[in-house]
Amino acid sequence: MANKLIELCGISKSYGSNQILDDMNLYFNENRFLTLLGPSGCGKTTTLRIMAGFETPDTGKVLFDGVDITNMPPNKRPLNTVFQKYALFTHMNIAENIAFGLKIKNKSKAYIDDKIKYALKLVNLDGYEKRMPDSLSGGQQQRIAIARAIVNEPKVLLLDEPLGALDLKLRQSMQYELIRLKNELGITFVYVTHDQEEALTMSDTIVVMNQGYIQQIGTPEDIYNEPENAFVADFIGESNIISSTMVEDKLVNILGTNFKCVDVGFGQNRPVDVVIRPEDIELLSPEKGIITGRVTSVLFKGVHYEMEVMANGREWLVHSTVMKNVSDEVGLYVDPFNIQIMNKPESEDEEAVKIDA
Amino acid sequence: MKRFIKQFYVGLIFFFLYVPIAVLFVLSFNDSLSRVHWGGFTLKWYTELVENAPLMDALVNTLLLAVASAGIATILGLAACIGMTAMKHSSRQVLTMIAQIPMLNADVVTGIALMLLLARFMNLSFGSVLIAHITFNLPYVILNILPKLKQIGTSTYEAALDLGASPAYAFFKIVLPEIFPGVLTGFLLAFTMSLDDFSVTYFTKGPGFETLSTTIYGELRKGIKPQMYALSTLMFLVVLLILFIINRQSVKEERKIKQQKKKHSLSRTALCLMLFLLPVTLSGCGKQKENYQNEITVFNYSEYIDPEVLEIFEEETGIHVNYEEFATNEAMYAKLSSDAVSYDLLGPSDYMIEKLMKEGRLQKIDKSKIPNLKNLKKNCLESCESFDPGNEYAVPEFWGTLGLLYNTKMISETEVSSWDCLFDEKNKGNIIMSNDMRNSIGIALKKLGYSINSSNPKEIKEATDLLIRQKPLVQAYLTDETRDELVAENAAIGVIYSGEAYLAMEYNEDLAYSVPEEGSNVWFDCFVMPKDAPNKEGALKFLNFMLREDIASMNFEYVYYTTPNQAVIDSQPDDIKYDDCIFPTDEMVSRGEPFTYLGAKGEKLYSESWKRLKSR
Repeated sequence: MANKLIELCGISKSYGSNQILDDMNLYFNENRFLTLLGPSGCGKTTTLRIMAGFETPDTGKVLFDGVDITNMPPNKRPLNTVFQKYALFTHMNIAENIAFGLKIKNKSKAYIDDKIKYALKLVNLDGYEKRMPDSLSGGQQQRIAIARAIVNEPKVLLLDEPLGALDLKLRQSMQYELIRLKNELGITFVYVTHDQEEALTMSDTIVVMNQGYIQQIGTPEDIYNEPENAFVADFIGESNIISSTMVEDKLVNILGTNFKCVDVGFGQNRPVDVVIRPEDIELLSPEKGIITGRVTSVLFKGVHYEMEVMANGREWLVHSTVMKNVSDEVGLYVDPFNIQIMNKPESEDEEAVKIDA
Repeated sequence: MKRFIKQFYVGLIFFFLYVPIAVLFVLSFNDSLSRVHWGGFTLKWYTELVENAPLMDALVNTLLLAVASAGIATILGLAACIGMTAMKHSSRQVLTMIAQIPMLNADVVTGIALMLLLARFMNLSFGSVLIAHITFNLPYVILNILPKLKQIGTSTYEAALDLGASPAYAFFKIVLPEIFPGVLTGFLLAFTMSLDDFSVTYFTKGPGFETLSTTIYGELRKGIKPQMYALSTLMFLVVLLILFIINRQSVKEERKIKQQKKKHSLSRTALCLMLFLLPVTLSGCGKQKENYQNEITVFNYSEYIDPEVLEIFEEETGIHVNYEEFATNEAMYAKLSSDAVSYDLLGPSDYMIEKLMKEGRLQKIDKSKIPNLKNLKKNCLESCESFDPGNEYAVPEFWGTLGLLYNTKMISETEVSSWDCLFDEKNKGNIIMSNDMRNSIGIALKKLGYSINSSNPKEIKEATDLLIRQKPLVQAYLTDETRDELVAENAAIGVIYSGEAYLAMEYNEDLAYSVPEEGSNVWFDCFVMPKDAPNKEGALKFLNFMLREDIASMNFEYVYYTTPNQAVIDSQPDDIKYDDCIFPTDEMVSRGEPFTYLGAKGEKLYSESWKRLKSR
């Protein structure tokens, strides 16, 4: 709890009657890769823009290193932003783009030239000084945008879906590039995306948001393996989310059959949601399964087969490297450790409390 | 084959687009008045153009107006666009639509609306025209800048702020250069729109301010001079140059090579030019209101007064003359009816004077204040009584007859002594009739032995039927081009005003003028005084001045239309004095009849008959 770099306290923001953020609290420390993850309209970009200073919250405060910067204009804030659409200055060449912020700060020419060289090297675009932005590919432009931001040595770099406009292959290689950059620079990245795979790959901490509320904060593993509610489970990866009843500690009734599990403390005969990841369901011969079912569809996905199995009146999604044929009878087995029990949400607005990142 | 047709089609389109301009270009170097005969290469139209002071003044006005209105509209439009970009989507769309209405609106409507509005708050002059031009230029500017702003989006501006730029620095260093191509195109488009606007300028201008388009329109009545071809050619070349600059700009933008420095200097030059011209323009605004103790406003037929005459009057009396010109009686009537300007004197024709009199818009003229009335020819005043009984309202300015201009090599003098020659099968294809409704129907009425002012439906029907039978013989119905066609010997006979005929005979010695024996129209253009003339005293002084022998003589030599001033006639050498084209004999006058006002019912009857003829 010693050095909170940025802290958002009780932030609310609405446009007209449209509430974007409602009493949001969040903080994070130095040298983190923090990702705001959620579907469009969840408030993640607004949160970023409030940090950058492009939006002013209706209520609440933004603290930077303990100093209130809620009303500080963006040009005075010690952080920089990388925009989704690059926002390079097309009438300036690459060197002029990168030097823009430094010239405003009246740095010496030698210092600026040094910085340009360093930044271009960092993003693997040495020798591009005299090129014009339009002559660069999308990925190159985005790397220039990053270079332009980091030469100002911000303590926090805000990235607003920076890879959104790139194709899949480029996006993947840029993901590694960003992780490398963050490690070399040793500064905090706040990264906004709706792509859960991107979030899982790059982040130290993921903040899952929906409808203006934080749903869960945690490491990628936490978020994936122990989603706290059905929204998070559904949004992060594919899963079977089944409305069930907790019979007693370590025993849950799923669609009429009792399954062993490891969770305790939910009480007796309480309605709960159960999450089972498709890769955690094992396909065995009918007599070895907890329940039996019939395969209704098979799709080859490369690494695995994606199958749907009809059992206990429900389609179960199963990922397996063992292929079965349609209409084969199979037994389904789930290890007790892989059954994740969640409370049914009181309302959609259920919000997780702040968690030390 | 398909390819050939495609290319042929494109070729055809370009042919029709550019051949007219090519013709104009060639004619501007033609040493002959004719539009079909090549009379050798000459630059004289260009020299005459440069020496034509009113035209050059109009050119300066036009350019000043175009630069100033485009410049101001660009600045306002830019501000508007920035505001609009920051708006919510729905309200922005509504505003964009509203902003574009003036562009879709008919110019005439915009012009009249602006005139009515501006006349309430200011004198119609350079200032009002400038405001009007800014108004209709704005949509073009917005249309060019808004998409550019949308294209760069808000994130470019935000990125600049994010990197530490203040809002002003971000705007001038980043946003403005990024959208500069749109700003420049908007400015140039506004410039050209302003350059060739007529309707809006015509309605919002006041006396004493002319642009090229209004000047050209004023000259239409007397036929377009080859100087105009020269001017049009020059204007076309200028527009071509601007177009070239715009294109180069966008090509440059596409290439985006290292020419950044140059582009900056271009934008800087444009900005400097705008800033420099603004004060010049404003001082131009101020100059319109020089401090004269006393001023009169005169609305007269175009090219009826030697500009030097007005200067002499101002010097002698200290009274400033706001001089405005019109090309047709109907145009004068429209402007007068709008009450936008209070005039002291008007210079309309006979039938229009009668109409204004009957509508109670005129006041009697105090003759005791105009001693020079004694210079007026007696039978001239008598003729005027047909529309102004007792000569109480009108002071004749110029007059003349309607007759036939003919080529003596193609037709004999005896033939043209009667209107019959216009209806003779023998002259088929060599006849040019007047495109003026009252002239043509009047001639038919005269040939049939009726009054030129008949409003008897039966007589008019008879006359119209006669004209319909004549139609196959007629080469064309023209007004101002009649003179040039006869000079070029494209026709044998044409219906023409005496003043024009005189000019034509100067150009071609084989031409002669005749007023047929059945009688014709005698026309009078006179000064009259509106009821609400603000400076009656000054107006009377002006009338007396205009009738002075030396002044009337100057005007006569400027226009070469028939003067009613006996003193001037007496001082002419014999060959002019006895030229019955320029000075009709008493006998010719007595055969003629001035047009009188037909009343609303009569006017309708005539125009319906005219439609019946022209639609055949």
